[in-house]
Amino acid sequence: MNTLNEKTANGNGGQPPMAPAGFDQQMIQLLEEDDGDQKFTINIEPLPAVSAACTTCAVHNAANLRSLGVDMAEWDFVVALAGNPNVGKSTVFNTITGLKQHTGNWPGKTVSRAEGGFEFGESRYKLVDLPGTYSLLATSMDEEIARDFILFGQPDVTIVVVDATRLERNLNLVLQVLEITDRVVVCLNLMDEARRHGLQVDARRLALDLGVPVIPTEARHKRGITELLQAVDEVATGTYEPKPHRIQGTPPVLKNAVNQLMAQLEKLAPGLPNARWVALRLLDGDQTIADALSEGRLGTLASANTSQPAGSLVAAQL
Amino acid sequence: MIDPLIALLVAGLLAGITALLFWPERGLVIRWRRSRQISERVLAEDALKHIHEHEMKGQPATLESVAGTLHISRDQAAQLLERAEENGLVSMDAGMLHLTPDGRNAALHIIRAHRLWERYLADQTGYDEAQWHGQADRIEHSLQPADADALAASLGNPTHDPHGDPIPDATGQFVAHGGQPLTAIALDHPAQIVHIEDEPETIYAQLVALGLYPGMTVRLIEATPKRVRFWANGDEHVLAPILATNISVVPLPQTVAVAVEDDSETLADLKLGERGEVKAILPRCRGAERRRFMDLGILPGTVIAAEMISAGGDPTAYRIREALIALRSEQARMIQITRHTETAA
Amino acid sequence: MTTATSIPLKSPPQTRHGDDATPTPEDVLALARTLRWEIGGDFHQTLMETIYTDAARIADRAVTRSGEKQRFDLDRTIDHLVTSRRWGIPIMILMFTLVFWITITGANIPSQMLSDLLIGKIYPLLNSIAAAIGMPWWLSGILIDGMYLATAWVVAVMLPPMAIFFPLFTLLEDFGYLPRVAFNLDNIYKKSGAHGKQSLSMMMGFGCNAAGVVSTRIIDSPRERLIAILTNNFALCNGRWPTQILLATIFIGALAPIYIAGLVSALAVVGIAMLGIIISFLMSGMLSRSVLKGEVSTFSLELPPFRPPRVWQTIYTSLIDRTLYVLWRAVVFAAPAGAVIWLIANVTIQGTSVAAYMVNFLNPVGILFGLNGVILVAYIVAIPANEIVIPTILMLTVLLNGISGTGQGAGVLFQMDSAVATKGVLVAGGWTLLTAISVMLFSLLHNPCSTTLYTIYKETGSKRWTTLSALMPLALGFAVTFVVAQVWRLLSGIG
Repeated sequence: MNTLNEKTANGNGGQPPMAPAGFDQQMIQLLEEDDGDQKFTINIEPLPAVSAACTTCAVHNAANLRSLGVDMAEWDFVVALAGNPNVGKSTVFNTITGLKQHTGNWPGKTVSRAEGGFEFGESRYKLVDLPGTYSLLATSMDEEIARDFILFGQPDVTIVVVDATRLERNLNLVLQVLEITDRVVVCLNLMDEARRHGLQVDARRLALDLGVPVIPTEARHKRGITELLQAVDEVATGTYEPKPHRIQGTPPVLKNAVNQLMAQLEKLAPGLPNARWVALRLLDGDQTIADALSEGRLGTLASANTSQPAGSLVAAQL
Repeated sequence: MIDPLIALLVAGLLAGITALLFWPERGLVIRWRRSRQISERVLAEDALKHIHEHEMKGQPATLESVAGTLHISRDQAAQLLERAEENGLVSMDAGMLHLTPDGRNAALHIIRAHRLWERYLADQTGYDEAQWHGQADRIEHSLQPADADALAASLGNPTHDPHGDPIPDATGQFVAHGGQPLTAIALDHPAQIVHIEDEPETIYAQLVALGLYPGMTVRLIEATPKRVRFWANGDEHVLAPILATNISVVPLPQTVAVAVEDDSETLADLKLGERGEVKAILPRCRGAERRRFMDLGILPGTVIAAEMISAGGDPTAYRIREALIALRSEQARMIQITRHTETAA
Repeated sequence: MTTATSIPLKSPPQTRHGDDATPTPEDVLALARTLRWEIGGDFHQTLMETIYTDAARIADRAVTRSGEKQRFDLDRTIDHLVTSRRWGIPIMILMFTLVFWITITGANIPSQMLSDLLIGKIYPLLNSIAAAIGMPWWLSGILIDGMYLATAWVVAVMLPPMAIFFPLFTLLEDFGYLPRVAFNLDNIYKKSGAHGKQSLSMMMGFGCNAAGVVSTRIIDSPRERLIAILTNNFALCNGRWPTQILLATIFIGALAPIYIAGLVSALAVVGIAMLGIIISFLMSGMLSRSVLKGEVSTFSLELPPFRPPRVWQTIYTSLIDRTLYVLWRAVVFAAPAGAVIWLIANVTIQGTSVAAYMVNFLNPVGILFGLNGVILVAYIVAIPANEIVIPTILMLTVLLNGISGTGQGAGVLFQMDSAVATKGVLVAGGWTLLTAISVMLFSLLHNPCSTTLYTIYKETGSKRWTTLSALMPLALGFAVTFVVAQVWRLLSGIG
């Protein structure tokens, strides 16, 4: 439960560690307990087949990734880069990957995609740049692509780049990503601009509230990138176990419906990490999610492993 | 070389003939294709729809009502219904027409296709209200159940059409809107519009012109055989009872406030440097655009400041949750606000 | 009136399971369908309100604002200046004039150098190598005179301006200026049913239509994006400017007294480009009111804060993403075109070249439109790249009119060192002032090059839209040149 405390401080010691302290973590859980919808935030135990020793295993869904046009043959982990438009996401991407990148389109779509790689610690990471979106409710093709990648590709880590000067607007996307996946690192970019505009953004407070690492960066000046990668590495290898915040306060009109659906989903796929989100999407009439549910493609984050075909494990779950 | 005058004349003639043949919507080719579409199948399907409608009202359809609605003679109607009966779609009982289970399924599919298409036109296209019904009346006969399902999926499986009518789902289930005519509710009691009848077209056009849409809250002030007076959307409306009965409402708890005589300002009324708090996005803003507004953070309670006007005079840039977003004037007119009296710094 | 009861018209899809039974996915979906009738209302709004309320609460706890806000004003001042009624448009014109000026003057020298290298040095070298290894004449003809030369031509003409234009454009984009341009011009575009961002894709089209078509991705409304794609070709691209400048100089500028000849020809070229812009507005309006009437239309435009652009990164990525990409596509299409051009000039049937058959066949048609057979054949075989239209016309004219003393041989593209000599060849080929004007108009109004067509197909994924994008300007081009030619002849016949 207290794995958060074990998160190592950032490598160079220049920045304070962003991990919440144990007390605050307990506070958060106390706060969350009065909301009945929080029971699914508990991380999933690894399947016996994967064995308990494999906490550092990759969780991404290699089969789904292939159909999303990402080949994981030479990589250990896959990291998705999400964010609103105009938050310096491509700067972050370029700074991390350098010239090791190539651009193309998403399979079958006319939406550009950039892909690159980096090495950190002992692992090789593939970094996939998702389209810049304000939301993930699949209103546009961009949103659909970003959503599908996070949901079905199950990246080992999703970095959400946010603009420190427009935090509220950007948190909209962060909260939506946190509903789908636990494995998130928030890159609090444009800290220099925020300072220039007389804004102080408390990254520790934010990390506490969101339950995931929040790393302040100035990608343009290459500041904070090492810390960002460190956090990514810790989440990917399981050293750091995020306890993500889930959106508070289901509106009363939806509460009954959401609870009923969640109860059924819980029975259908015990431990589905994003049951509430799935319930909300079903209530919104999202056909992609409905199809994924009936075809058994809504695996848990821990259920798919690179070494095994994803389908069989998911099927075992459902 | 050809004489230029003759060349010009011949070319002009050719252009004229081409236009006559292929002009969109009014060209001869289009007209010919449209006239071919009114086939017997279409008539039969319309008859099923009509019978279903009457069943829903609890007053079975008759041979006469079918003939009247479809604008065909009694003999033609009789032939049509005879064939429908042979196909096991309709049963006749003492002059009253009833649908068999198969007939009801067929009717429901047509209704589903019609309402889905209206939803599609409303949410995803630029056609205006007046054209929805007519287009849907044509399309409903050519959408196969699989097409309808695909359309529904792409629209997010909507439950209601833009007039407030329920769209039967793929299994044929639906829940009727359950409204009562506006004229039937208690005076001074808040109610919500759940349905606006889209036939006849002229009445519907008038109601749309008044800015009345499903989802709006209303309060009745006066209902006499001469006129019906009510508040809706911050305006007082006066309608002839015949028009008012085409609006269906459900009563709301007494505690719900109905906007009465407010200034009813929109974002477009803000001058540069002024701020306003969003009250609502008007119902005529639909589909992707409405969702986009909300994703951008335009929600009840959001404070928005007008910041710059384009050199071309139209889009205005608004500060919305710290970001600068340009909205065209017709978009800004769809966002209702209350003005903040103190101006932005 | 209907009543408030639920009417299950078929048997309810699933009976509710006991509490302990494991539901199937279908049970869950059926439950969701039933529940959806209960929640009703504006689901999306409820959800977004919840999320934003939560976001506001979290953001509030994390952010503190100090009082000083001075630097904020610099951004606002720039913003108010570049969007002001008085200065907005002049600043824009100044900016883009600067960009075009830098492109044109900056591209001259490298273009010349590339041309000297690829055509002046490597081409003869390849020929001598081919001769040395005893390559059959037809093979070296197809490979060197045909494919290599056409490709070299396209690269020399196309690469330098694009390598300058695209990075400059990307820098403006990175700085945050381009969204302001779209903001300023939106009102004009709105009147023709288009999106302000179309101004940007058009601007890009002045560099290269294929790149312009790709850049319409910034328009997120499907209808407006299609309009931008279908009308991008009316932006006079880099491959067509040289044709316009050449013809304006030798035929139109020559009409004026020598001291204003340069100005007159420049005005003629700008006039053609302006005509393209006007036509793009007209066609946008027509498309939005006819074929694209029912397509969905939404407008959204964020004006991001101004940020200092990252110069080197921008140059690198725009070279990789735009320049090399477009160049590669062009080369892929130009090489086979070179082979075709060489073949039609060299393959003979009963002593007459295929080119001659084609030209003779098309000549009467060409005359009708103020053009001639050579021009039409050149436009047919040079679909892949507008850059090689004039060299093809010159080659065919020399070949078919038996002009001696110029040209490099059948199927070998060339250009003349002087404008006067070029005019001499063209006049010998029967060109008049009307021909020149017709070619200038037709160069603006004809189907996009095959690179662009391929890009349109890729972007729209539709054969229908690709066909329309080819036929619409072509039909317009024939209509305009026809009317101009006939009216011209009518008037000059009387006069």
